Amino acid sequence: MSEIKTQLVVLGAGPGGYSAAFRAADLGVDTVIIDAREALGGVCLNVGCIPSKALLHVAKVIQEAKQLSAHGVTFGEPTFDLDKIRGWKDSVVEQLTKGLSGMAKMRKVKHVQGYGKFTGPNTIEVEGKDGITTITFDNAIIAAGSEPVSLPFVPKDERVIDSTGALEMRDIPSKMLVLGGGIIGLEMGTVYHALGSKIDVVEFLDQLMPAADKDIVKMYMKTIKNKFNTMLETKVTGIEAKDDGLYVTFEGKQAPAEPVRYDRVLVAVGRKPNGSLVAAQKAGVTVTERGFIEVDKQMRTNVSNIFAIGDLVGQPMLAHKASHEGHVAAEVVAGKKHYFDPKCIPSVAYTEPEVAWVGVTEKEAIEQGLNYEVATFPWAASGRAIACAATDGLTKMIFEKDTGRIIGGAIVGTNAGEMLGEIGLAIEMGADAEDIALTVHAHPTLNESIGLAAELFEGSITDMPNPKAKKK
Amino acid sequence: MANLIDIIVPDVGGEEVEVIELCVTVGEAVDAEASIVTVESDKASMDIPCTDAGIIKSLKVKVGDKIKQGDVLGQMESGAAAPEPELPAATESQAETAPAKAPEAAAKPEAPANSTAASTSSKTIDVTVPDIGDATEVDIIELLVAVGDTVEPEDGLITLETDKATMDVPAPEGGKIVSLAVKVGDKVSKGSLVLTLEVAGAASASVDSDSASTPVAATPSIDPAPSAQASPAPAPQTPAPQTQAPKAPPVPYHPSAGDNVNTGKVHASPSVRRLAREFGVDLTQVQGSGRKNRVQKDDVQSFVKYELSRPKMNPGSSVGGGNTGGGLQVLAQPKVDFAKFGEIEEVPLTRIQKLSGPNLHRNWVTIPHVTQFDEADITDLETFRKEQNAIAEKRKLGVKITPLVFMMKAVADALKQYPAFNSSLSESGESLVMKKYYHIGIAVDTPGGLMVPVVRDVDKKGIMEISRELMDISAKARDGKLKATDMQGSCFTISSLGGIGGTAFTPIVNAPDVAILGVSKSEMKPKWNGKDFEPRLMLPLSLSYDHRVIDGALAARFSVHVSGALSDLRRILL
Repeated sequence: MSEIKTQLVVLGAGPGGYSAAFRAADLGVDTVIIDAREALGGVCLNVGCIPSKALLHVAKVIQEAKQLSAHGVTFGEPTFDLDKIRGWKDSVVEQLTKGLSGMAKMRKVKHVQGYGKFTGPNTIEVEGKDGITTITFDNAIIAAGSEPVSLPFVPKDERVIDSTGALEMRDIPSKMLVLGGGIIGLEMGTVYHALGSKIDVVEFLDQLMPAADKDIVKMYMKTIKNKFNTMLETKVTGIEAKDDGLYVTFEGKQAPAEPVRYDRVLVAVGRKPNGSLVAAQKAGVTVTERGFIEVDKQMRTNVSNIFAIGDLVGQPMLAHKASHEGHVAAEVVAGKKHYFDPKCIPSVAYTEPEVAWVGVTEKEAIEQGLNYEVATFPWAASGRAIACAATDGLTKMIFEKDTGRIIGGAIVGTNAGEMLGEIGLAIEMGADAEDIALTVHAHPTLNESIGLAAELFEGSITDMPNPKAKKK
Repeated sequence: MANLIDIIVPDVGGEEVEVIELCVTVGEAVDAEASIVTVESDKASMDIPCTDAGIIKSLKVKVGDKIKQGDVLGQMESGAAAPEPELPAATESQAETAPAKAPEAAAKPEAPANSTAASTSSKTIDVTVPDIGDATEVDIIELLVAVGDTVEPEDGLITLETDKATMDVPAPEGGKIVSLAVKVGDKVSKGSLVLTLEVAGAASASVDSDSASTPVAATPSIDPAPSAQASPAPAPQTPAPQTQAPKAPPVPYHPSAGDNVNTGKVHASPSVRRLAREFGVDLTQVQGSGRKNRVQKDDVQSFVKYELSRPKMNPGSSVGGGNTGGGLQVLAQPKVDFAKFGEIEEVPLTRIQKLSGPNLHRNWVTIPHVTQFDEADITDLETFRKEQNAIAEKRKLGVKITPLVFMMKAVADALKQYPAFNSSLSESGESLVMKKYYHIGIAVDTPGGLMVPVVRDVDKKGIMEISRELMDISAKARDGKLKATDMQGSCFTISSLGGIGGTAFTPIVNAPDVAILGVSKSEMKPKWNGKDFEPRLMLPLSLSYDHRVIDGALAARFSVHVSGALSDLRRILL
């Protein structure tokens, strides 16, 4: 048993945790980071955002190669070497995690491997391979993240997988059910579909990606109708594991009458916070029934020297939210009077095409009774989109009606996630439609659709019929 | 069938005028009488209305163009089948109403071709906000009329509140309210459309000539820009019943208070928000200096600097029983449940009280006051005054001379002799602003509270002239018809309670003035003339002054000078 004394302990080395630890170290705070994995980076780097993007890249190239036959270039049927694909994915992860441990060493952030549990407001015990380490700390940042929700009626069977299992990619099932029409399920469905699986998606609500606006998802649905068999307003009531497959019983609007056989079931119905797994109560920190830890705008819990960030402090459970919260918590620990005070946090589904939104969605605008106006530029009017066969896209911007100030935006289409940044910046800077419309966007780009949507609002558009022409 | 007609500039007073606003756009459907452009001459601004209902087909002018009578503004497609009406007749009567839209007495435009072609049919006119001093974006705090109401000329239409005063916008003519263009809470500036009024055509000519002959200060030659200085009680009482809920007391002048359009959604980038958080600054309180009022880092810094340096004023405590310390680091007032001791009723402060309270409080707290008491022998003066009044009555001059007029003359004379009394401390407190004019504020007791209208150039006016003016403004004050400009520019204030009683009192200096003369009730007293006691009519004088500017000896001399002048008016002539 070893003992460590430190100014700051960070529990969890995901994007929130390592950002907090590195920031604190850079501000001169003696920092220890605890994580069960040998590699830093948490779910995001190891079994989340990053490996899934490596596979989605593969899927995208396969699909584009196929599409090219319509334009006169035909490739042969692709053959897949799963080991090599997996190897590529793993190499991406390795490169990044190696980079992280290098940076940790450089910053003299000590990594204690194991599961940490609080034993008091200033002590935590880490149970690892090499026994128990007791850490005495002045401040702590809880960044223990979240894990996939598992469903009670789902049998324990290796053919039932979650996102981690899907990323392992042991084989390519011929028929897979994606249980849950959220971002994670749709991304993995996209990968497996490209590699040859037949994909069914079942969603309990009436819309895939329920947080996004209907018109945006409708455009997405249009593009995937030939790829996925989507069952909305339908739920799974039972999964029976038989030798020849998993027999799934459905109930609801689009439920098949008979149980359907699948080779795999990917459960992607959401993630639950790990607030209850770190014995935070022993430090006096309040954890809600659902496992969240409540914090103030400085990321401080009810115990003044203990902070919490990331998935376990609330939605949205996104890496980029966690890393910003991590910076704030570290800066507060280092004595700065900083607050987590963004106007918006972007959400991106890295499906093909991508679906991305930031700021207020139209449904939120209606809920909040905002006086807003929407301007939507369809990519069918974009030269670049036509030229790269990406006309299935929309750029939608939501403006405050009186001031023209931008309050939200959503994009569906190729590279939507990359384009979203401009809208986020515009919201943070308080730009209005005129500012965006007067910003010269490069032509031809998909990105210029943002400027064009702003022109639509302004009534200065010339690339399509101008509904406001007479009023201006 | 529709036909195309030219829109021609009517008589606009015989000179070139500048287009300052286009009120319509091409393609817009307009009603007859709707304004097409607003023009501004060096005397007034007026709207040029169109003669017919129809659709604007083209506009040949733009903002900044100079136009004159007979120019073509553009073309419109008239909905009527009738041929183009004879323009001159129709437009001339419009042109007449135009000056009435700017019912600002000081800048009365010469009514062009006045009282010709009085139309007999009723017509509508636009009533706009008159000159309200330097203030722009002024809050409308009350609507005094509703659509369908009939108003008399000079009736209050809406009440405006600036950081200095409240004032009513009067009806330029009698008539019926056709439509209201504003609501409570709107911000308006000079020239903003308030409402449309339907007036009887015949009435308009008489109203025009009427108001043209109104003996208001016709030459605004000495019109000191309404300075950033607040006068203590510059608010006319609104004649309408106050149905509005009591408004929150005004906050003392603050660079970032006031027209805050941000209402919670602050225009500030993340880095500025972070800085604000660090200082605990509420960004909704900070006026942004950037483009589109964006709050910049400098704004946050100067806000903090200002907040740290400014004396903390709490209007709640300054007007009464507020329980904060008023920023003076004194004990808060204890809370008292008066109902415990007997029946009570809570009556809201009048608007004037709410406005003047914080100013009085500031003056009381920030100015080191000293009050000098004296008496003036006005026995001879009163004899003279009564004789003159008797003569005036015989000649039916319609003027009554009050003792106050002589006091004003005496004070003006003393101000000339002791210029320190005719000064203001500069903003920095490093120098004195010496005034070369002699405007005297008169505290007037009105049903709504204390008001201080200003009589200008007292030194240049005769007793009769001042008497007339005094009667006029007193009546206006009591009727709540004083304009903000009527209450600006005073050098010195006289507060006379002589008509009521009392032997002396300590008036509060009306900043930025540096002194104020309080006058109490005159009394017959035995005075030793060297041989025996003689009954003399003595007038008690209480001179409060700002001791930072005036020292005691000077105040005594000033007070002796005033008293001497009142004892023997001939001294003023010397």
